[in-house]
Amino acid sequence: MADYIATNAASSGVKLDKKLVKQLSRRSDRPGLIYTAQWLVLLALTGTAVWMALGTWWVIPAMLAYGTVLTVPSYSMSHECAHGTAFRTRWLNETMLWISSLLYFEEPYHRRFSHASHHTYTWMEGKDSQMPFDTPMGLKEWFLEVTGIGLFIYESPLYIRNALGRFSDEVRRYTPESELPKLKWGARACLAIYGSLAAVVLAGYWWPVIFILIPRLVGGPIMLLFTLIQHVEMQENTLDLRDSTRSFRTNWLGRFLYMNMNNHIEHHLYPMVPFHQLPELNKAVKDQLPEPDPGFFRTNIEVFWVVLKRSLRLGTKAPSIRQAPHMIAERGAKAERITKGYV
Amino acid sequence: MSENWVRACATDDIDEEDVIRFDHDGQTFAVYNTPSGFYATHGMCTHEEQHLEDGLVIDDVIECPLHQGRFHIPTGEAKGAPVCVNLKTYPVRVDGEDIYINTAG
Repeated sequence: MADYIATNAASSGVKLDKKLVKQLSRRSDRPGLIYTAQWLVLLALTGTAVWMALGTWWVIPAMLAYGTVLTVPSYSMSHECAHGTAFRTRWLNETMLWISSLLYFEEPYHRRFSHASHHTYTWMEGKDSQMPFDTPMGLKEWFLEVTGIGLFIYESPLYIRNALGRFSDEVRRYTPESELPKLKWGARACLAIYGSLAAVVLAGYWWPVIFILIPRLVGGPIMLLFTLIQHVEMQENTLDLRDSTRSFRTNWLGRFLYMNMNNHIEHHLYPMVPFHQLPELNKAVKDQLPEPDPGFFRTNIEVFWVVLKRSLRLGTKAPSIRQAPHMIAERGAKAERITKGYV
Repeated sequence: MSENWVRACATDDIDEEDVIRFDHDGQTFAVYNTPSGFYATHGMCTHEEQHLEDGLVIDDVIECPLHQGRFHIPTGEAKGAPVCVNLKTYPVRVDGEDIYINTAG
């Protein structure tokens, strides 16, 4: 038997009829294809707006819209495809995993294995490979996380190391030995693709900068604000996902861009359930879950306010979002930090 | 029938395109009803030990509930990351309304 307990519905004490879980987990290509088509239409519309606005101040809102539409769904799709739940057809799933992971800036095989670790050890210190910042979070970490600088600092050396086959202990911990060559060749393929785009720019064609690089940088913070609130200010080292993970309300646009992952506790409880069934899963299990936090903007504003006050040694009780008890400190208290597991 | 053939369940005990768990002599098995017939494999995922009884049967594939790694049920072949070690399979025979597994493999 395994010498650990994976974080899931059983570890959290949440119960749901097995047949209902399997019914909700049924796969189909249709929702994923519809989502992809809608995404492409939005990209075409906002991308056209960017093109038409070039050389004017209108390019700023156009780029913000295009960057958001490019970046948030690329994260969401990469995540969904890493689970293999976006499509029923395997090659569709793998193709979209590659495209979206390249945009998200993470090698697809690494994406899949590191995310598996995140589900097995959700928010477990030193074991969850996607626990990117110290907790409780400080202002500097908030800045590094939300701007995307932290992701860049982490991913760039990882690409190089993996491409050279010099895998860190952390990578070896969550990647089976037999799969390491895939990580190596995956990193090489990604670097070759990024290098090709750089060569296109050096040859005088600016479309990769205008339609990929700048929008990815502009949309990055929006994407990272979505991912930040999945677990920030929540309890580390617990088997109960209701204490370590946050679900939150958001409007139709947020639900679309984030592929319903605002139902984040639900997703961690039953990761087999595809994105389009998460609202139904929420209905089935909501009487066993805490109320979702108020919304994307309000949750992020409260998180930022808490982090800012923590840096100033002020009281850190947020007005309405859920926080683990030890995240709440009195005025003048210094936060007891848990150091992140990776790097 | 040799002593290694053990009755696992009735054919009606497993829904179509589903899997159940069968424990015998300290071992855990997964017994499947797929579009191509009944099969049996070891009951735990080879990636990180999870009971496959909670997994999803998609055609002839079983998907692990924890990380969605996939195995081809008839052969036990690992078909999708993060699983990469094949699953042990066991012969199955249907006798009337009963399903038997050869636990010796």
